[in-house]
Amino acid sequence: MYTSTGFISFFLRRLTGVALVFYLALHLWVIGSANAGPEVFDARLNAVQTPIFKLAEIALLAAVVYHAFDGIRLLIVHYFKVTEYRKSLFYAAFAISAILTIAGGIPILLFMLEGL
Amino acid sequence: MTNNGKMQSVTLRVLRYNPEVDQKQHFQEFQVEYTADTTILDALHQIKAEQDGSLTFRRSCRHAICGSCAMNVNGKNILVCKTPLRTQLDRKNRVTIRPLPFLPVIKDLVVDRSAFWEEYQRVRPWLIAPPEAPEKEFRMTPEEVEALHNAETCIMCGACYSSCQVVALNKKYIGPHALLKAFMRVMDPRDTEPGERLDEVSGSDGVFRCHTIFNCIDACPKGLNPTEAIETLRKLVQKRQAFVAARQERQKTLLPVESSTAPAAAD
Amino acid sequence: MRIFQLQRYSAIALLVFLTIHMIVVHYPPFHIDFSRIVERMAQPLWKAIDIAFLFAVLVHALTGAYMVLTDLENIHRYRRALAWAAILVGLFAFYYGTVTILAFQPPA
Repeated sequence: MYTSTGFISFFLRRLTGVALVFYLALHLWVIGSANAGPEVFDARLNAVQTPIFKLAEIALLAAVVYHAFDGIRLLIVHYFKVTEYRKSLFYAAFAISAILTIAGGIPILLFMLEGL
Repeated sequence: MTNNGKMQSVTLRVLRYNPEVDQKQHFQEFQVEYTADTTILDALHQIKAEQDGSLTFRRSCRHAICGSCAMNVNGKNILVCKTPLRTQLDRKNRVTIRPLPFLPVIKDLVVDRSAFWEEYQRVRPWLIAPPEAPEKEFRMTPEEVEALHNAETCIMCGACYSSCQVVALNKKYIGPHALLKAFMRVMDPRDTEPGERLDEVSGSDGVFRCHTIFNCIDACPKGLNPTEAIETLRKLVQKRQAFVAARQERQKTLLPVESSTAPAAAD
Repeated sequence: MRIFQLQRYSAIALLVFLTIHMIVVHYPPFHIDFSRIVERMAQPLWKAIDIAFLFAVLVHALTGAYMVLTDLENIHRYRRALAWAAILVGLFAFYYGTVTILAFQPPA
């Protein structure tokens, strides 16, 4: 172990990345039911729009948004000489993704509570 | 310093391991007196001299140029010889000293750094100069010399290498120290094989294995920037051909005009 | 190097595609069904965008997974086999995904 902000960013990037690969497989399977016709598609899609899955969707949003902004951070580090500001960049990426997750998560949460 | 010269006491927790006796590493605590001038290395010497002669650690020059005494203090890799003890106290008035992480421990604070040196050898850290050397010196511009400055003050202490999580996962990774050396040689206008060097570092365990964790920058006791060097190498690898062509062009003007500068009166 | 470039360029493409995807697919109300999707997907341009999106996602996911796995020293040895496996998985997933996207036709 060697903890630092860099390690935390790397760990989160790995974690969200691996999670998103598994999500992609699930996503392909769910949407792939369209091959079997609209009825099957709607049935399977309804199965993944229960409150539990809506909560998981917020986690998914968090993962996507963090992975995206961490990626933008790495692009900035690659194309500009900004390693001096590495800690601020990580905090900025983390803060932006947290804000966007909350902003996007509240409507999902409200929709979920409505459906209960 | 108000407490300069005044003795104070501190607990040093040292992660110890004796391969002949111990099954695994364990902490041992030592009480040490210190002043504002005491470095961590001084404290370790004090323990070795007065409390436990079997305490094993590497050190040599004691002024941050030999690169022997890099250790993990309170979770960060530093040179213990240049770090005052008073700056490293944690909230419980203790200092925790471990050997460099991710490397095999030989005894106490001494680690096996063979992998570190093997990767260093692998990038051929020496200059491959043009066949004809000038009488006096190569003509480099101040900008070219400035570009090398990032790398040339490296003391090979291993603090960056053993703070790197990529190294922790894969010992085949070249490592920040060797990539910094490779960067230095690639950027050197005198070097004749920048293309081959870029090929070496662009493999699957080279610069593209770096995950931009920045631990190497944080750990470097000389304030060097291996991450920036790796990013630069990544850019150069992607435009290898143009870079090699520019180098060949540059080397035509590297030698001073012999007839005018060389002393003709020798014969 | 090629893997790095694939990952970088697909990442930049994904930044664009994912923003579009988030805006056009996930807006209130959050309930999704076939009829809502097919409304948009009836246009060939959206099909083309989604196929390009699928391609970028697969490239990014598979290069990412490949990098995660080859980071480990024991797996790094078998990276050639792993690369071929990733290519096969990618081709299959791309075929399956494209068929799915084309399946979004308004019922005749």
